[in-house]
Order: sequence, then C-alpha cells, then structure tokens
Amino acid sequence: MTTATTAPASRPTPAGGSPGGRRRTLLQRRQTRTAWLLALPFLLLFAAFTAGPVFASLLMSFTDMRSTDVRTPFAVDLAAFDNYMALFQDALFRKVAVNTAIFVLVGVPLTMVLALAAAVGLNNITRLRAFFRLGYYLPVVTSIVAVSVVWRFLLQPDTGPVNQLLGAVGIGGPDWLGDPALALPSLIVMAAWRNLGTLMVIFLAGLQTVPRELLEAAEVDGAGRWQRFRHVTLPLLRPTLLFGAVITGIGYLQFFEEPFVMTNGGPLNATRSVSFYIYDQFSFGNYGYAAAASYVLFLAIVVLTAIQFRVLRPKA
Amino acid sequence: MSRRPIITATALAAATALALSACGRDDDAGSGDGNAAPSADLTDGPATGTIEVWAMGTEGELLGDFLADFEDANPDVTVEVTPVPWEGAHDRIATAIAAGETPDVSLIGTTWMGEFAATGGLEATPTDVFAEDDFFPGPWASTVVDGTSYGVPWYVETRALFYRTDLADAAGLEPPASWDDLKAFAQGLQQAGAQQGIYLQPGQGGSWQTFMPFAWQNGATLTDGDAYTLDSPEMTEALEYYMSYFSEGLSQDTVLQPGALEQLFADGSIGAFVSGPWHIGLVRDAGAADAFDVVPLPGKDEAPGTSFVGGGNLAVFTDSDNKDGAWKLIEYLTESAVQQSWYETATGLPSRPDAWEDGPLTEDPLVAVFGEQLEQTEAPPAVPTWEQVATVIDGNVEAAVRGTIPAADAVADMQSQASSIGTGLQ
Repeated sequence: MTTATTAPASRPTPAGGSPGGRRRTLLQRRQTRTAWLLALPFLLLFAAFTAGPVFASLLMSFTDMRSTDVRTPFAVDLAAFDNYMALFQDALFRKVAVNTAIFVLVGVPLTMVLALAAAVGLNNITRLRAFFRLGYYLPVVTSIVAVSVVWRFLLQPDTGPVNQLLGAVGIGGPDWLGDPALALPSLIVMAAWRNLGTLMVIFLAGLQTVPRELLEAAEVDGAGRWQRFRHVTLPLLRPTLLFGAVITGIGYLQFFEEPFVMTNGGPLNATRSVSFYIYDQFSFGNYGYAAAASYVLFLAIVVLTAIQFRVLRPKA
Repeated sequence: MSRRPIITATALAAATALALSACGRDDDAGSGDGNAAPSADLTDGPATGTIEVWAMGTEGELLGDFLADFEDANPDVTVEVTPVPWEGAHDRIATAIAAGETPDVSLIGTTWMGEFAATGGLEATPTDVFAEDDFFPGPWASTVVDGTSYGVPWYVETRALFYRTDLADAAGLEPPASWDDLKAFAQGLQQAGAQQGIYLQPGQGGSWQTFMPFAWQNGATLTDGDAYTLDSPEMTEALEYYMSYFSEGLSQDTVLQPGALEQLFADGSIGAFVSGPWHIGLVRDAGAADAFDVVPLPGKDEAPGTSFVGGGNLAVFTDSDNKDGAWKLIEYLTESAVQQSWYETATGLPSRPDAWEDGPLTEDPLVAVFGEQLEQTEAPPAVPTWEQVATVIDGNVEAAVRGTIPAADAVADMQSQASSIGTGLQ
C-alpha cells in the first residue's frame, strides 16, 4: 500500500495549477477503491491463513512455551522480554548474528557488482547474448541440492578441481569448507554465483531503459566510457539498484540453504546463520525462544530495508 | 484513516489479555497426566477394531505386509500402516499430539521419548504385560521418562569397532581389550599402511554417539535425576583421551563426507572406525569383502566397553481410541520369534536378548557381535531437552578436537550450557 502511494510521487506531475480540487479527489477516491479491490484477494488470504499465526507467534515470543506444552498452549508462563534478553546473552546467537551480518555486508555488494558487470557486458554484445543470459541465469533455477553437491566436489581439499588447479600453479589449496576462516567466504562466493542471475536480468532490463540520446549527448560533450557509465547510466539505474539491493538483502539476511546442505553450520559454527539458529531452536522445541529470535531477524530486515531506501532513493 | 483498525486492535488486545490471564503453569502440570497407573487392563482374546500405525523409513514400507500373520490371528482387526519419512516424522508426531489427532501406535525414535512423554501424549506402558527383564537394559531405559515407561523397545542399534584384518595381521595385532590397547591398535594399523589408524567423528552432528561411549566407559554420566552432570573429572579424562587421537594424527579432524568412510575403509586408507550394524553391508558393498572384522568396544581397563544404544520404540497415544488393540499389536511385534522374522524382513535388530540366542541372528558372526555389545550399552537420558544438549556436546567435542579449547574448558562449557537449558522435567 505504501509503495502504491509513493511510486507516483516520483513521477513528474503535470505542470500548472490543479484543474479543480474536486475532480482530483474524486479520481483519487476511485483509485483508492481500485487499489483496495486489487489488494482484497491478498488481504483475505492473509487474514484467513497468515494473520493468526503471525499474531500468535508474536505472543509466543513473550512466553516460555516449549514443544512439551503443545497440548496445553495457554498453560505457559509469561516471560516478558526474558527470551529477548537471553538471546543477546547467548554467545552462539551473537556469533550467528555476526556471521549473518558478514554474509549480507560482503555478499550483497559482491552479488550486485558481479550482476551489474554481467548485465553491462551482455548489454554491449549482440551475438550470443541469449546464450550468456541463460548461462548466468541457470544457477538460479537449479536445485540448491544439486548446486551444493557440485560445489562440494569442486572444493574438496585433495581431489577437488579448485585445489588441483591451484596445485598446478604451485599453490597448496586449503580445505575450503573445513577451515573455520574460509568456510563462510566460500559460501558467500557460492551464493553470489548462484544469485547473480536474477539481478543480472533485472539490471539488464534497467540498462535498456537508459535513453540512448542521453549517452550520445554525453559522448558529444566529451565524456569517456567510464564517465558516461558513472554519471549517466548509474544515476538512471538507481531505482533498479534499490530494488536489487532490497531483494538481495532480504534474501541474504535469511540465508539458510547453503550452510544447511553444504556445511551443516560448521566448522565450529563458522557458517551458522540466524535462520539456521532459529531452525535449530524450533526443532529443539524452544518455541517461545525461537519466536523471539524470528522477530529479532524480522526487525533486522526492516532496519536494513529502511537504510537501503534512504541511501538509494532516487534523488529529486 | 478510519477508526476500524483501532477497534480491531482493541478487540485483539482484549482477547490477548483474556488469553494471557488464563496463562501460567500449574505447579504439577508436566507430569500430571503421565503418572497414571501403568496398567492398560487389556482384555483377553484377540485384538479387534482398526489399529492405525505410523512407522518411518524401511520399517514403514515393510510393516504393512509383515502384519498379515497378525491379522490372520486376529480376524476382527484391521491394521492400517502409514509410512512416514524420518525427516518429517518428529514434527508430524508433535503436530498430531498437539491436535489430538494421533494414530493408535507409532514408532518413536529413542531420543524423542522424553519430549513426547512430557507432553502427556503417550500412554504409560502396562508393565504387567511387558516385563522390563525381557529386554536389553539400555533400550528399556530409553522408554523411561521421570520414572515411568512410555513405550516398548522394538528394534535397536548399537556401535562396535570395525577394523581391517589384513592390516592388523600385518602389524601382528590382536583386537583391543583396553584403552591402551586401542591406542596401540590404531598406531599399529597406521604403521601397517593406513593413512589414519582409526576414524573417530571429530565433532558436528551426532559425534556424541562416538564420544559418549568413551565417557561412559570411564564412569561419566549425563544426568542425575533431573539435572545434567556433564562436568566430571571422568568426562574430562575421556575427552582428553578422545582428543589424543587427533593430536597424535591417528584420526583426521575434519568430518568425512557421507559415503567417504566406507570407500576409504575398503581401500585400506582408514584402519578402523566405530559404527553400527548397517555398516556391515555398506562396507561389503564398497569392496572390503572379508578383509575386515567387527569386535565389541574395548573398555578402559580390560572390562567390556560400554557402547551407545539407539533404535526405535513403539508407543501408544493417549488420544488413541483402540488402546487395547494397540498394546496387543505391540505385544505381538515384541515376541521373540516375531522379532527374528522381522530381522529377516527389515534387518531390524531385536530388542530382546532371547531373540539372539538361536535362529537367523546367530548365522552371521558379524551381526552376533552386536548382540554381544548390546549387553553393555547406555542410552542417552530420556529428557525433553536431550537433542539440544547433544548439539552442545557435539560443538564442544569439535572445538576440543580442533585444539581451540582444552578438555576441561570444553566440559565446563557443556555443563554451563546444559544447566541453563535444563532437563525440561521441572
């Protein structure tokens, strides 16, 4: 709903005074009604199936509910903010929070830069474009299990192709997934490789909206390739970059599959993420505690998204 | 904005306040429904009605056909077996208990007993029908939560020592009988050509199953009543012994990928490892042929070594509407002869010693070793929080094995985390 009202604001409004306040409010009212009508199917489904559990989980995060209480869910004690306090006192939670922060702070820029580079490259070639586009996009649609099996094979310490390549040039490759210092970076690289396809397609679409005349005008003015990219293309891509940063940030804050199938959170919890921690807590039966951790993650997502909107919002 | 959201919010808040004012634990809630008299008052005569059974994995696939004899003997009964994949089984049972929509009988992993029994969803075992003495002690203990048994051991699995006979012969070694022997044994196998003398799991998921037998052999315990007792000199000493295999280069300190162990054992790169009966088939398939043997775990000093016992129990739910039929089905499945034919059907190892004395389980000497080991086993405590504490042990074993913390600190951390988690028994 908020996007529906803010999006038109960035569009240039017709110059001149309003052609009549009454007509505009009528039009606005009609638009509002249409918006609600279009949102209705979602709202109904949300109210019927999601709102209850969401509300219940919020309540649950303030109780000491465990899986042994499932038959008597109201016979639990109120814990106020105890769960939240305990979370920040848990050394493991602090560790997984740091892991997740590193994953997001390194992974999101890395993925975006790679995706933008691929998109710019593809935008400038005409031959084989479809082929490369497919190639970069393929990891996105491949099952994470298949991807992880292949990557685990690639990263094998002794027999893996990565280390054999390194060995061929005289470097003894490390145990990528077994070394606590290298396991998380390895997963970040894999995640960037796996997710850059989606962003690349979005950026490619964004690049094609950059008016050719603007670029040509800049060229006539003597701007070089990099200057044109830096001062014409990038500013025009801002909304696209914002969208890319938001969806990648949300996805990376919740990263789970990669460590779940590749490293099982190890070695020494070096690749355990907040989502993984929440998953563990739910499976241990600590429902109240796990719900509290979920809301901390939810707040982190809200904060990150708000920051991204501030930093990358289109300049007026 | 209209006033409607405010009204809705007020209504929600009121509802919440109502719901919460009904909150609060009864002082004796946890064990309230559990302490019923352990007698089901089973009727005489055959079972009747419909019995719904959930079973996981291979058991779930094979049990339906296997029960044809039971249905012949009880003509008025219909048994409906639903196979449930192991992956989703825990949550599915938990949900069923919460909703009161359970089957009559289910296979329950031994480490889940504490949690499900504490919900009040499981019936106490009628001990007039099932005698504790008929079963191996470790598996029976896995059914007992806070003093009451809530199920019957169906099949079991335990761990023994696999080793390469060709390497042992080359080094002139006898199977080990003590901790010192085991260390010398691993060194000998390594000198005879193995890259690692023995593979012990260096932490991560389930490594406590390899580590805890050493602690038990040294007299350490996991719980005393409703408190964890991980912080003991015995535990520290066992962890130091375990760590020495890694610091002396007898075992690698990174976890092997699934499937690698059998392969490395078959080609002689690994001289020995500790695992369960399923590895007999896996190792043979990998090409080890007859170049290996299985022996019970050695104890610390000559005495037989304690091993870990796991497996599956059969339990009846309090929401079952055919408890009579349910217990009769379990009675049938835990008969000695039926357990033997179940072994032939699904290779599940019998939970009763008398089923091992004759018949199919005496035919393969390697399998018989596990029967011998079963006499000397410990089960993890049947408390609701065990799975969580197990991961704490796994994490500390991993840190200790990698040399990041000394054994005493690892054991102290296990205890402090386990204490703050609590056993969940109240």
